[in-house]
Amino acid sequence: MTTIERAAAALPAFAAAVLIALAWPAAADEPAVYELQADGLACPFCAYGIEKQLGGIEGVEAVATDVKSGTVTITMEPGATLDEADAERAVDRAGFTMRDFRRRERTE
Amino acid sequence: MRREVAWGLLVLLGLRVEGLPAAPQTFNTALPVAEDEFVFREQLLYLRATDDPGPADRELTVLGAVSVLGFGVTGRLAVFGLLPYLDKELELTTPTGDRITRDTTGVADAQFFARYTAYQKDAPGRTFRIATFLGLELPAGDDDDTDSLGTLPAPLQLGSGSTDPLGGVVVTWQTHDYQVDAQASYQINNEANGFEFGNVARLDASLQYRLWPRELGSGMPAFVYGVLEGNVIRQSENEIAGTEDADSGGTTFFLSPGVQYVTRRWIVEAIVQVPVGQDLNGMALEDDFAVRAGFRVKF
Repeated sequence: MTTIERAAAALPAFAAAVLIALAWPAAADEPAVYELQADGLACPFCAYGIEKQLGGIEGVEAVATDVKSGTVTITMEPGATLDEADAERAVDRAGFTMRDFRRRERTE
Repeated sequence: MRREVAWGLLVLLGLRVEGLPAAPQTFNTALPVAEDEFVFREQLLYLRATDDPGPADRELTVLGAVSVLGFGVTGRLAVFGLLPYLDKELELTTPTGDRITRDTTGVADAQFFARYTAYQKDAPGRTFRIATFLGLELPAGDDDDTDSLGTLPAPLQLGSGSTDPLGGVVVTWQTHDYQVDAQASYQINNEANGFEFGNVARLDASLQYRLWPRELGSGMPAFVYGVLEGNVIRQSENEIAGTEDADSGGTTFFLSPGVQYVTRRWIVEAIVQVPVGQDLNGMALEDDFAVRAGFRVKF
């Protein structure tokens, strides 16, 4: 194999490495988003306690509640993650019951 | 004196506010106050009672503001303090035919109580809870106020002078569409200054039905609830120097339509208490109506 042929063979791997390197900082900066179900939540006035408790967890940037589905969406600061046990404790402190904690995929 | 004391029943019944920070407006709920969260409630009160079976033709008017502060110790335990500020005015005709007015204004007796959620069953969009509460009514109000005619009778005083235990149980069933609360409570009134108000037993119920939005959308829309509450209040006869006052005590049944505007942090509300049944002893003064309006806020 000539030098040119070897260079041509390595080109796809090199291009992939460049693309990954370029994409990596953006992916790392994208905030993690979590969703949980708050059982027992049935009116707006009760949601405030859940949002306040979850908002008090370090690294949480924003909390939004959909009262109809009982879904609470937690957006983290860049680089921060949310522990399920911390989320469950926060919902319990608000007087409700957590169910179905999950991290939302970026494609969602 | 007995005649003057008779309307004390009304004053007690009209002002017995279980000032808890959730849905019903005339009593309690089992819905939670989150840990480290405060709930403040201010309720304005206007009460009239002019149906006097006796010759004194008494007319009682009470204006007031009842402040309540609640705090969540945990998700299941909350403590509350309640402090009324009242203006009471009584017009009556004396045996000599003179029409006189007696009144007083100031802070009335305070209540402090703790509420614990003993049972909780949560499901998506609904909850069922049973909570118990226990507390004291403390003699914060003046119990020896005077006017130009002398010392005011005990029922017109702002305070009872006694420390009175109270407790009860409240059940709540809440869904997206409606909420039902029911409560049974009892207050033991003790003697002070030779006067003892009769003990008070209550059965309360409340239905709140979501009128708007008709269809529940996404996010956190504000709710408008139509409210219907009922209160059955039974008070024993008062005692004056150990003797029962035959013109005090009895049973009143209030039916109360109201409305609530509920947001994430605020509630604005109003209700009219209408006495649809009054079985009072002797010449106890009967209620005409009571209007309550106010707001609650969480912080």
